[in-house]
Amino acid sequence: MSNVFKRSKTARLIMMVPAAGLMLTGCGEEPVEVQVYNTPDECAAFYNPPAQCQAAFAEAKALHPQVAPRYHNKTECETDFGSGQCESAPIIASNSIQTGSETAPQAQSQQSSGFFMPMMMGFMAGQMLNRGGLGGQAPQAATKNASPVASQPLYKSRDDRQTFRTATNTAVAKQPGATRIKPSSVQPKPAAMARRGGFGAQAARRSSTRSSFGG
Amino acid sequence: MKKINCSPRPGWQQFAESVGFAFHTFDGEPYWDETAYYQFSLQQIEQDLEQPTEELHQMALAVVEDVVNSEQLLQQLAIPEAYWQAVRDSWQSAQPHLYGRMDFSYDGNGPAKLLELNYDTPTSLFETGFFQWVWLEDQLMRGEIPQHADQFNSLQDKLQQAFSELALPQPFYFSSVTDSIEDKGTVDYLMDIALQSGVDARYIGLEQLGNADGQLVDLDGYAIEGLFKLYPWEFMLQEDFASTVLTSKTQWIEPLWKSIISNKGILPLLWQKFPNHPNLLPAMFDQGKALTPGWVKKPLFSREGANIELLTQQGQTVKQDGPYDDSGYILQALHPLPKFADSYSLIGSWVVGDSAAGICIREDNSLITKDSSRFLPHIILD
Repeated sequence: MSNVFKRSKTARLIMMVPAAGLMLTGCGEEPVEVQVYNTPDECAAFYNPPAQCQAAFAEAKALHPQVAPRYHNKTECETDFGSGQCESAPIIASNSIQTGSETAPQAQSQQSSGFFMPMMMGFMAGQMLNRGGLGGQAPQAATKNASPVASQPLYKSRDDRQTFRTATNTAVAKQPGATRIKPSSVQPKPAAMARRGGFGAQAARRSSTRSSFGG
Repeated sequence: MKKINCSPRPGWQQFAESVGFAFHTFDGEPYWDETAYYQFSLQQIEQDLEQPTEELHQMALAVVEDVVNSEQLLQQLAIPEAYWQAVRDSWQSAQPHLYGRMDFSYDGNGPAKLLELNYDTPTSLFETGFFQWVWLEDQLMRGEIPQHADQFNSLQDKLQQAFSELALPQPFYFSSVTDSIEDKGTVDYLMDIALQSGVDARYIGLEQLGNADGQLVDLDGYAIEGLFKLYPWEFMLQEDFASTVLTSKTQWIEPLWKSIISNKGILPLLWQKFPNHPNLLPAMFDQGKALTPGWVKKPLFSREGANIELLTQQGQTVKQDGPYDDSGYILQALHPLPKFADSYSLIGSWVVGDSAAGICIREDNSLITKDSSRFLPHIILD
């Protein structure tokens, strides 16, 4: 790198960048800054390294079928999320929610569970490199002891297309960009409905050879 | 100096809106344009733009000294007689100034020719100092532009330094016309930098300024001892509260002596004092004769290219209408803007305090750069 630049060392703004979020209350918990976007490209256009945007998006995408709210039928789902905004929900094989770096690359079951869920309409990036130019915060060190917030899918309800919501219906922001939230308010949880299909998979596998499981 | 096409960052419009750049599009036409950028060599920047900017700035200050000491020149510049002494005082007591922008016609081969000085209410500050800077950082990060590219743009650093050193009265107020989102954007940007420099910066709409027995006051009736106004001095001196300029204990940014430099009458005065200077174009006060080919006619007071008329060497008239037809005119030799692809380009060169602080580029599809002209970013690359 050359040692004399013709351009400013930084270009921070502290007043012109409004907090995108709705402050969420919790007790005795420090809010942390996260970022929410519709797409990885939008994330990259907001001053973030594209590779980190892609990674956060991929984590959210992997979490989506595990946490998205589930509905008995498409109509019920579309009542909440709008026409054409729902997809069939796969069977979830594992009972634990895996986030962040623990995400094991598990093949997501493509088999339909018979339930429906909203499509992912955005994502929250728990932590990304901030190059010191935006917002009032010093750049966060991109350390491995990551933010307490998981990168996760976001959704928008039919009657409020602006607001990004978590799978548990916590509103986190009304526009793309940075927002501050209490980590406990956005902790991902397994899909909000009793899931079926945890017993009986063996039967499905063997049905071609055996018709009875008694004996 | 080259114009290079490139891919806009996906979704940049939303990013722009999230940082308060509400006017990136103007009547459905793009104002900020990142479908291309301009590339300069370091030598072009330093020798052809940076050094002449600082030299011309000193020359302009020398002309101010001449003007305040001459009633004939104050008259010629159409400065109202009631304010001559106040203009003199603001200069002689060295009232500090913050910033200005000179506009050049330059095609990459020097010398750059000075078209005019915007030294009272220059805009496109945020686009230059912040948004253009972020564009380069983003494009470097995305690998769209070679890693050793730079930009002539120390505007925000220098503004921050200026606010730290000016020792302004506290609180210090910033003001603009309530209806202009573009002006509010410029003022917000300056306030943001001032706040970061430790200034107790407060906004007041220009129409909300109060006059209490000749002292300007804020909405709570407190005296305004320091005021930045994004509003031309020549307007202020014609309006109801004009006399507060003489009576109010207020430090102005820009100071009243800037009314001499922001006046296009400075162009013939520069040419008289520094004839044949390589960065100046021949200029004279208009005597009312018909325009001859190769000359431009400009009002003493005008903004955004309004009321400018030119006649090309080939006898073609280019004219921009506008509201600034109530002052005298000057004539300046025509030095047509260079054409890159199908647009004419103008280079704005910023001055903060007395230092050159970066450039911005405006493109238009005519020889007269207007309010609706597009803003394109630039890089330095050798």
